Amino acid sequence: MSATTLAGDLRAFGAAALKEWRLLRRYPSLLVGFLFWPIALPLAYVFQARGFAGDSQAALDAFAQRAGTTEVAGFLFLGWAAYMWISMVLWGPGTALRTEQVRGSLEALFMTPVSRLVILFGPVLSQVVWAVWMFSIVAATMTLVFGVELAVASALRALAVIFIAVPALYGLGALFAAVVLRFGEVSALVQGVRGLFTVFCGMSFPIAVLPEWGRAVALALPPTYLIGDLRHVLLSGAGLVELIPDLAILLSLGLLLCGLAVVAFRRTERYARRGGSLAQY
Amino acid sequence: MPAMNAELRAALAIARKELRIARRYPLQLVNEVLQPLYQFLIPSLLLGATFLVGGRAIGLEAVTGTADLVGYLFLGVVVGSLVSAAFWEMAFGLKREMDSGTLEPAWLTPTRPETLILGRAFSAMLIAVAASTVLVVIGMVLFGASLRDGLLLAFPALALASVSMVGVGYLVASVVLLIREPNFFVDATNWLFAMISGVAFPVLVLPALIQPLAYLLPTTYAVDLLRVYALDTRPLLDPALEWLALVVLAVATIRLGLTAFGRTERRMRIRGTLGQH
Repeated sequence: MSATTLAGDLRAFGAAALKEWRLLRRYPSLLVGFLFWPIALPLAYVFQARGFAGDSQAALDAFAQRAGTTEVAGFLFLGWAAYMWISMVLWGPGTALRTEQVRGSLEALFMTPVSRLVILFGPVLSQVVWAVWMFSIVAATMTLVFGVELAVASALRALAVIFIAVPALYGLGALFAAVVLRFGEVSALVQGVRGLFTVFCGMSFPIAVLPEWGRAVALALPPTYLIGDLRHVLLSGAGLVELIPDLAILLSLGLLLCGLAVVAFRRTERYARRGGSLAQY
Repeated sequence: MPAMNAELRAALAIARKELRIARRYPLQLVNEVLQPLYQFLIPSLLLGATFLVGGRAIGLEAVTGTADLVGYLFLGVVVGSLVSAAFWEMAFGLKREMDSGTLEPAWLTPTRPETLILGRAFSAMLIAVAASTVLVVIGMVLFGASLRDGLLLAFPALALASVSMVGVGYLVASVVLLIREPNFFVDATNWLFAMISGVAFPVLVLPALIQPLAYLLPTTYAVDLLRVYALDTRPLLDPALEWLALVVLAVATIRLGLTAFGRTERRMRIRGTLGQH
């Protein structure tokens, strides 16, 4: 790739992100949603945990033993914040392609000389702003409302965990995008995978409470490591060295998924071009 | 009276049409059962399992009077699905009609707009009841909920709550007509309504400032009576008072909802904004 092409792609990348950002700003109710859900969703589970614990110290001790922390609110806020970020990254590229398909602009986009990576991930870039916004809200709520102490060093370690999880999540996102190109409507698949993650990855519970087969499923899914490791560094004060085995698995899964995504995307694009199905939905 | 019969026939015809459309999408119908399971029930059950001591939900028992975690949550979902039917099918259904451009032509027919929404309410409530029944059976057979026969005594409470939810549906529909992007509004208010009613947790754990709101919602009493009769939980108030509240709220919400909807509809006709979205 020449330097000129790279510079052109980077400009297109920025333009795609800017366009999505402008679209988001046109719908203020979406902005309110980004403020409301990061607090409201985990809060419901915090109330639920209060109902399940009652005033019983034994019940709270049982939670601490299984979850590895006494911070019930922090545990739940982190789990659901990670889930919301995962949702954005996973469905972002596929949803962006689907939206272009429905608007009738996908074929035109594929006729431009820009890299496919721009089409896939350019619109998702604007969501980074929302991810930062969401994690800030969650951190503020945990600290100010629930008194959870978040040290700067722990926050930096959490950023490192997020950074290591990026290839796995974006790889999954690109795989979804390939499915969109091949089949068009994928909401049932999205719901199914979302359900799989909610049931197994431990957003609202420690995976220790799953049966043995359930733990095996959980350990094959990248979000489990992301959520578990974020809780370890932020709530239990774990260092990155202790998490090396987990992070190595996360990174390996990421590389595997990215490789699969590249192959799948190329094949489906070829299929769509040959069959002329890019504009069909 | 003949006019009323005609409106009722129209409402039933609309309900039949909606049910026919629903049958065309069997996967969506299956999702009515699966979605509450994976999105709410299983994560909540597993959170509950984290607090078990010796396999028993002693914390929940101390707050509510029952240690049947599964029964407690599955019965909550029954009322949650009524709330969802009012918010998404009755009210947000108008937005779908707006998007597909069929709202204005439908309102030009001699059928009253209220009837068009009532028809959607019939079909939505029927689907909600069917999905809830399947969920409760799943809760009993697969997850081991043990519900008492007293459950049947709570059915009139569910019927009264359904009437109230039709009123609430009219109220929310008025807002949907007024705002052009109602997705967040419907999603957030549906969620808050269900949560504050105690669908997912005991109302008693809500902050003192929010608890009074719970006592204004008909669904709070419906879910409480359901749990009292099926699980022998401690009631929030004297059950006789809860029944009275359900009757009063059913009448009040229907009147309020119809008034708000009638005013909004008149306003939109005068301004000619029905087709805009």
